[in-house]
Amino acid sequence: MNFRTMQAANRRKTVGLLVGMGVLVWVVVYAALTYFGTSTAGIVPIAVGIALISVWGSYYGSDKLVLTMTGAKLIQESDNPKLFDLIQEVTIASGLPMPKVAIVIDTAPNAFATGRNPEHALIAFTTGILDAMDRDQLQGVIAHEMAHVANRDTLVSAVAATTAGAIAILSDMLTRMMFFGGRRDREGGGNPLALVVSLIILILAPLAAMMLKSAISRKRESLADATAVSFTRNPAGLRSALEVLAADSTVVQQRSTAVAHIWIESPLDSKSVSKLFSTHPPIAERIAVLKSMESLG
Amino acid sequence: MKTIIVLGVAALIAVFIISQYNRLIRLNITVDEAWAQIEVQLKRRADLIPNLVETVKGYATHEQSTFDAVVTARAKATTATTVADTAAADGMLTQALRGLLAVAEAYPDLKASTNFLSLQEELSTTENKVAFSRQFYNDNVRSLNTAVKTVPSSFFAGFAKVTEREFYEVEDPQDRNVPNVKF
Repeated sequence: MNFRTMQAANRRKTVGLLVGMGVLVWVVVYAALTYFGTSTAGIVPIAVGIALISVWGSYYGSDKLVLTMTGAKLIQESDNPKLFDLIQEVTIASGLPMPKVAIVIDTAPNAFATGRNPEHALIAFTTGILDAMDRDQLQGVIAHEMAHVANRDTLVSAVAATTAGAIAILSDMLTRMMFFGGRRDREGGGNPLALVVSLIILILAPLAAMMLKSAISRKRESLADATAVSFTRNPAGLRSALEVLAADSTVVQQRSTAVAHIWIESPLDSKSVSKLFSTHPPIAERIAVLKSMESLG
Repeated sequence: MKTIIVLGVAALIAVFIISQYNRLIRLNITVDEAWAQIEVQLKRRADLIPNLVETVKGYATHEQSTFDAVVTARAKATTATTVADTAAADGMLTQALRGLLAVAEAYPDLKASTNFLSLQEELSTTENKVAFSRQFYNDNVRSLNTAVKTVPSSFFAGFAKVTEREFYEVEDPQDRNVPNVKF
């Protein structure tokens, strides 16, 4: 598979997963109405509203918010001209505007990108990654981060977080209502099987939403790898960069797991997080995909 | 009722025509911008050369033919105007610069000088920028040419005065040097 078909496949899968999210919201609402009756319909906009406000705020100010959450410091061209040269190369290859650049003082090699649109993009690197990588590897990493910017992944993950959040809030509110008074309008009666199924859906929905959110994140990571290759046409650079990351066992001193998904390599210990809930595809799998692109020449 | 339907259909057709027209114009502008980017990067490289040649000359005095090749290639590159001429001159200059850097390999004092090291970094990033701006230009020419040739956008190409554009093809002898296989 070349990078163009990879990009198309990952985009299709993201759309499929987002549709899955939409269906899940619909199923939860339907289950709630079956269980509690139509009088509870009012809480749906409340749950969606809370989720929207909390996620949209962090999406809009993502570049500034992430700076404080990760302790990254903005730098100027004179601070690291070589890094800026490399970033300019990728902006020329991608046609994207020059992003803001930040440094995280941390010996663990890692990098991330954020910002609500390409004009407000920010890419950050740990001091560890700048020390550990050569020119081609760093170029691959920068291309991966700029690919997130080009693919609007901050927006995609904000949409995923909003729906997952809305489902979590909805299910939380409804489970509380079950303890306080239970079903309000009993005149509808209804079939007991439907009630049991609705109850199970309400309990399992947040878990399913989390899984979908992680699956979307993983697809966006694979997409960013493919897009990075479309920028540099050099899969070997990113592949050897990922090998450096895979060989390194140090982990970013992360202040918050809320921003775990934005790094190029997951800062969470992969052994403690099951595959269904991890925000990144296994690094060995990413390396294998890039190798198959290299063999195409 | 009938008039509403007629107006609706007319509006849809108008929206379709406008979007096709705008797409072609937008693609054409992107190609222009991509071309401008190539010129910026080629200029940057041309500006770098006198300094580089002087630095190498300071250590390697017996390499006059290499210097001449670089200077001639640079002169050609700065005067070229058409896409084909610029691409040809660009390829020549890339070759000449490779020769110059190969010469530098033979002079350890030169290789160790801080001036040369910073020039070398600047030259490698400039070469990358030139290469990426070519790639970006060619990608955009590809989308434009596809739009000009495929239905339905091809119907509007004449009206929008957008025509196929020329690819930027660099003759690089190194690309064609297939290694000899001996049995």
